[in-house]
Amino acid sequence: MFEQLVEKLPVGIGIVDENFLVIYLNDFFRDRLPREYRNSYKDTPVTDIFSHQAKFLERRLKSVFVLQHPSFSYWEQRPHIFPFKSSRPITGEETQMYQNMEILPVKDKSTGRKYACIFLQDVTAQASYFRTQQKLSAALKEEHEAQRKLIHKLDTAQSQLIQAEKMASTGQLAAGIAHEINNPIGFINSNLDTLSQYANNLISICDGVENHVTDFNDEVKEQIKNLFEAQHYDLIKDDIEELLEESKAGLNRVKDIVDNLKQFSLDSTKGSQIVELNDVASQTIKLVSTQYASHHYKVESADEKIEIMANPGMIKQALMNILLNAAQAIPDKGYVKLSLLKNSENITIKVLDSGEGIEHKNMKRVFEPFFTTRPEGQGQGLGLSTAYTIIKKHKGKISINSKVGKGTVVTIELPITSKDNSATAPQ
Amino acid sequence: MSVVIPLDEEQRDALQELLNIAMGQAANSLAQLIETKIDISIPKITSVTPAQLYSLLFGSQDTFHTRQSFLGDIQGEVISVLSRSGLSEIAKLMDYSDPLSKEDVEEIILELSNILAGACLAGLSSQLELTTNLNMPTLFTPNKENFDELKWQHSLVMEVQFTVAVSSFSMRVVFCLDDDSLTRMKDTLDELLD
Repeated sequence: MFEQLVEKLPVGIGIVDENFLVIYLNDFFRDRLPREYRNSYKDTPVTDIFSHQAKFLERRLKSVFVLQHPSFSYWEQRPHIFPFKSSRPITGEETQMYQNMEILPVKDKSTGRKYACIFLQDVTAQASYFRTQQKLSAALKEEHEAQRKLIHKLDTAQSQLIQAEKMASTGQLAAGIAHEINNPIGFINSNLDTLSQYANNLISICDGVENHVTDFNDEVKEQIKNLFEAQHYDLIKDDIEELLEESKAGLNRVKDIVDNLKQFSLDSTKGSQIVELNDVASQTIKLVSTQYASHHYKVESADEKIEIMANPGMIKQALMNILLNAAQAIPDKGYVKLSLLKNSENITIKVLDSGEGIEHKNMKRVFEPFFTTRPEGQGQGLGLSTAYTIIKKHKGKISINSKVGKGTVVTIELPITSKDNSATAPQ
Repeated sequence: MSVVIPLDEEQRDALQELLNIAMGQAANSLAQLIETKIDISIPKITSVTPAQLYSLLFGSQDTFHTRQSFLGDIQGEVISVLSRSGLSEIAKLMDYSDPLSKEDVEEIILELSNILAGACLAGLSSQLELTTNLNMPTLFTPNKENFDELKWQHSLVMEVQFTVAVSSFSMRVVFCLDDDSLTRMKDTLDELLD
């Protein structure tokens, strides 16, 4: 009965002697034997029948006989020791059987002879499942990575869109406001001029009266004097000019703001022409350096001529704004460096300063219109946003790097368009 | 570490002597198989906490690890620590040809662990007249957290190091016993001492 059981067991069982000659094979092995050995497997070396992995089998059998200790082999490392077909020849994806093997030392108690018993397990199903899982997990990992990259891209695109949208809507708003404010500014300005003239006239009249006060009799003299005193004429005379001047200055500031707003919302690149950036750079630096004379300024350029199709006024404005920011960021003395670089596709302008730097929390907002960290009245917060709009209009890129206490670098990249090439050619 | 050793001095000396014999047999087996000389260290017997076991096993870098459980009169696990260096020379002795694939390396370390752990356990069991069966070895890549969560407090650890004379290869075999098996072994040792 036991023999029958062993015959039918769903694992391979084989017994070999110390010379590796086959003593016994159960059905599992016999059903899968090469045809020529079906009837003659007994007393044939197992390494002859399964010559495919003869070296390995020999080594393992030797180890079992020498050490009298079981030996194991797994499908992960050695999937096909015996060249058997898959257990699913019709529907299975695997064509060869995956196997786990164990070799046990056994001893015949009556004769004392040593044998090795080979157990073979068909693990094709597990192996197949495991491999599918592994493939799946690899695919999943890959997909995950791709998604992560995509999300990052989307994030960047979204923040760029938001920024562009913000700039566009602020630009429109700014243009509207500028237009609306311009009208009242016009008449206030001319009224103020007239008013100041009138005031001068009135003062001359009063002064005339005051100068000729001796010509009147005492009673009238007294009355005039009282009148002047009661109305605080001296004070008015001193104050009126100051008030008018202050109002004019205030109005000029409003005008400046409106002009900047208009600049900020410039909506066309018309007026494009060839601009030589080396010239623009040194002109702008000169302007800034007269205003902030304590700093050290430097212009560096890789080429003698760097030409680009652009609106010269706008480019100057953008550079001016950035350079002013750089100069203003330096508390006492420091340096501002402007460098120009050109390759086949781009022109890179870098403005570097040794100023206070920008705090991390403000970095995201530096291009935002009206965002400023300066005290009220000292900055409108339009400089960088105007520069941003100008560079975007020229299809360029602008970015900022900053370290608090070290300084800031503004990098502008402007594309050299094909228009530029054709335009520079005739020169 | 010696404070918590659950064996008295006599038991410990006896076990040490038995281990010496068992490990000698194991080294001989391996030497016979790969036809080269093998040196063994004096076996160390200590009691460790999970954290200590972790640093004992995984303190050195560039090593492979395998584990095997054994059942029978005494139960526990054998963890083998194999050096990466010198492995290719051993592979040659074991009839593997260069270059070694990842699968070859895995097969070699599993086989080496199986041979040495098997021989050590067989030797120890026969000295103590106990029966044990070693299960198949598997690759082991543990992490520290898992060791911190282990339920046991102390474990008796027997450790021996094998070095192969002709190469830089070395291998440590660490036996860990569970509590019941420890009691069982102590009783057996007492019987032998009487």
